[in-house]
Amino acid sequence: MTSVRELVVALPEEELREFVLAQRWYGSKSDEVASVRAVDAFPLREEGEPLVAVAVVEVRFQSGTHDLYNVPVGLRRGAGGFASVDGWAAFDALEDEQLVLDLVGLIGAQATLEHEGGSLQFGVVDGVVAAGPVRAMGAEQSNTSVVLDETLVLKLYRKLEAGVNPELELLRFLTERDFPAIASLQGWAVHVGQPLDATLAILQDFVPVRDDGWALALKDLEAGGDGFVGLVRRLGEVTGAMHSVLASDAADPAFAPEEPSGEALALIVARIDEEIEQVFNSLPDEPALEPIAGRGDDLRGRLQEIGQSGSLGRLIRHHGDYHLGQVLWTENEDWVVLDFEGEPARPLRERRHKRSPLRDVAGMLRSFSYAASASELEYGVEPPPGWEGQVRSEFLAGYLAKVDPALVPADPSLERRLRLFELEKALYELHYELGHRPDWVRVPVAGILQLLDEPA
Amino acid sequence: MSEAGHWFESDPLWFKHAVFYEIHVRGFFDGNADGMGDLRGVTDKLDYLEWLGIDCIWLLPMYPSPLRDGGYDIADFYDIHPDYGTVEDFRAFVDAAHQRQIRVIADLVMNHTSSDHPWFQEARSSPESPKRDWYVWSDTDDGYPDARVIFVDTEPSNWTWDPLAGQYYWHRFFSHQPDLNYENPEVQDEMLRVLRFWLDLGIDGFRLDAVPYLYEDEGTNCENLPRTHEYLKRVREEVDASYPDRVLLAEANQWPEDVVEYFGEGDECHMAFQFPIMPRMFMSLRREDATPMYEILERTPSLPDNCQWGLFLRNHDELTLEMVTDDERDYMYAEYAKDPRMKLNLGIRRRLAPLLDNGRDEIELMHAILFSLPGSPVLYYGDEIGMGDNVFLGDRDGVRTPMHWTGDRNGGFSTADFAQLYLPPLMDPVYGYAAVNVEAQLRTPTSLLRWLHRFVELRKQHPVFGLGTYEPLEPSNPRIFAHVRRWEEEIVLCVHNLARTAQAAELDLAEFDGLVPEEMFGQTRFPPIGELPYLLTFGARGFYWFRLVEEAAA
Repeated sequence: MTSVRELVVALPEEELREFVLAQRWYGSKSDEVASVRAVDAFPLREEGEPLVAVAVVEVRFQSGTHDLYNVPVGLRRGAGGFASVDGWAAFDALEDEQLVLDLVGLIGAQATLEHEGGSLQFGVVDGVVAAGPVRAMGAEQSNTSVVLDETLVLKLYRKLEAGVNPELELLRFLTERDFPAIASLQGWAVHVGQPLDATLAILQDFVPVRDDGWALALKDLEAGGDGFVGLVRRLGEVTGAMHSVLASDAADPAFAPEEPSGEALALIVARIDEEIEQVFNSLPDEPALEPIAGRGDDLRGRLQEIGQSGSLGRLIRHHGDYHLGQVLWTENEDWVVLDFEGEPARPLRERRHKRSPLRDVAGMLRSFSYAASASELEYGVEPPPGWEGQVRSEFLAGYLAKVDPALVPADPSLERRLRLFELEKALYELHYELGHRPDWVRVPVAGILQLLDEPA
Repeated sequence: MSEAGHWFESDPLWFKHAVFYEIHVRGFFDGNADGMGDLRGVTDKLDYLEWLGIDCIWLLPMYPSPLRDGGYDIADFYDIHPDYGTVEDFRAFVDAAHQRQIRVIADLVMNHTSSDHPWFQEARSSPESPKRDWYVWSDTDDGYPDARVIFVDTEPSNWTWDPLAGQYYWHRFFSHQPDLNYENPEVQDEMLRVLRFWLDLGIDGFRLDAVPYLYEDEGTNCENLPRTHEYLKRVREEVDASYPDRVLLAEANQWPEDVVEYFGEGDECHMAFQFPIMPRMFMSLRREDATPMYEILERTPSLPDNCQWGLFLRNHDELTLEMVTDDERDYMYAEYAKDPRMKLNLGIRRRLAPLLDNGRDEIELMHAILFSLPGSPVLYYGDEIGMGDNVFLGDRDGVRTPMHWTGDRNGGFSTADFAQLYLPPLMDPVYGYAAVNVEAQLRTPTSLLRWLHRFVELRKQHPVFGLGTYEPLEPSNPRIFAHVRRWEEEIVLCVHNLARTAQAAELDLAEFDGLVPEEMFGQTRFPPIGELPYLLTFGARGFYWFRLVEEAAA
């Protein structure tokens, strides 16, 4: 009788490829794929039915590089599923309520499942009860999240990268310090051994939500815009407090704040400069891009100005993908911060870097611009005059009131660093929108223009 | 599960497509303001190395040592030189590097120890000493007459009389570096213990210094002997058994047919330096003739699949001219070492930029050739910013001066007083730290550093350079060095103009009829290849790297 590992690794490439490339969580480009195959599998259940294993699916590209994906697979005898092998039909294990409960049960039991070459290790913070009903959490992009009994969320990471997922690190750190503005960590599942150590999933509290920051901002704009301003100051305070807590342990090498090196600022400027060059070299000829077309060199000049020597503050672990969509206004009338995985599409080692906390601040400031533009673009509602400026200054006031002052530079460096990171963010947005939502390109264009033409 | 692997996917062949960076710990960055670089300093600069795109750091010897040969005279194999920090600093450095997916290998001198080493002090104290047989002793100094002297500028012989011991002892290098006696199983076992000590701390491998000289035999030149290879195979077996994904890199400055012996049948060292081609790259550049490179590559045997060359332009030693003909050596001295101070032993002690008269085009071209060849490039610290050298410093110190980080005091290397620095930094108007430093080059989009960063990135995006085959072409013009690299679906054509004048050349690419060359930096498509010879024109020192792609994909 073939083992579950052997069965999964033998899943036919055609069917596996079709399945993987069609998933929402599949994050790489489809047109350069050379092969898709299950290169390994970590058994979860080796007897009975269904058999279950975590498939390690390798997507290999023409150039020879590859990505690895986390695909828990169940096998039942008979037909159906997305692929079949040797009389067994393969299906996505997360679609089966009982399998999800079993997985959470393993977390609660702090189980270790050994296999040749490694082991699956499950851990828990205090204790969990695996209870249904189970429902999918909508709108996931790079991960798969499942809600249990409206109290717990199992979040399965789809991309497999060697090491520890920063979300597990940060949530554990913040949970241990009773930071209130998060969905506390309750447990985790990791793999240790060949072919890589990796975080497979986390378990966290389910937070009953009124609205996320984005929806709140838009509702506010539609309604004439004055309720949100009050909430935004509080958001700034929560952000400042979050950074202070993240920087609070000088004894933990993974979290201790660091003084930037002599060339740290120059490294940031170099990265952004290259990004400008790349983006402007391949800028398509479109009306929405007209205001910035051909101004790449101007932008690089402006970058040199705002990237001048001055303080960078301290480097700390931070959120990394901070924007209105990542913060929830809860039924308890306060903010909760979500999604600590870091900047999407960046490799894990970069997402774990300590950086200036002002990057998170800049991310949120850009998000306010987005909300103001979305109001017009999507709903035809013009923001009230000065809305964006007000929201910005309230957020900053709240932030500076709560953040540890040792972490951030004082003015004039503060203003310049914020502009620097806003420029970085706007370029990232431009790159993203050009590839995904061409209608929205005007938003980062407006942001870049503002940074270009603002007096120093 | 070894912790060293925590931040990496399993990949026993990682070194085949890696970019290495050689660091002189003393010269890199001073973390405790005492005027000398240290391990904490290197740790502080990992962000820079990560940005540059380095996959593996090679540390020059960091063991306790009287430093009479830059640390290659080891006095204790199980500790860190106090100038550089502690074993704990080392472990923390390796861990921090691993978190950035940068691996670490270190020099390990197997052939000899410092005469200060307690083993030697014990050995020489009495003929009955239990350590006596750990070294090679003789009553006369006429043994092994066919073994050449390597440090010809300082050593008259490979034997030196020790009055305390009452005998001569054998040393292939300086007289204060007595050779270990590998005939003795205790020595063999001890060296394995040394390796395990550092592997247990997480190190990803070793550069095995001076391996050709481990064993000696009468009637031979005492280099590359069969028992040397046997021992190295034993080392490899032990490492493979308990430490996955590690690399043993042999330093064997030999002719190609001798170097490849160090790979065994894929069961000895994983890597060896491509010493033979290195001086020929410089020769080809001066002569504006690709022939020396083509010839040595033709003469280079193929490697086992699980092995790789280490390619380099420069390193911490003199540019070695041991493995060239006398005429070629004279040519190289005449062209590259006009000042007699620049000559040392059988080589030229200069950094890359001064060797190339600080020519930006030449520096780029040499890197392009280096990166296009089958192997893993090994960059020398400071060459990425075009650092200069100081020929007035003794031995090879001229190429081991402090790294230039900023234009500030001491080049940003140290906050100690200038007088405390282990060596003076360069301060001349052309190569001094005010003119040449990391910070300024980061901010200058057209700098060498920024160029090299993009270049390294490009190479890493295409595993063909590390993993692919090498097929030389025969351009109509001898000034052009052209070859094809192939791996799985990728075909890459690399063409380089060695002349300082514009050139044209025709290439027979009939085999690729119908494919379109796409220039790799700008993704510009060139005219499709046909059956007739393909014409390319070049600016001075120009080069092209093309991906050969299907016409259809537009």
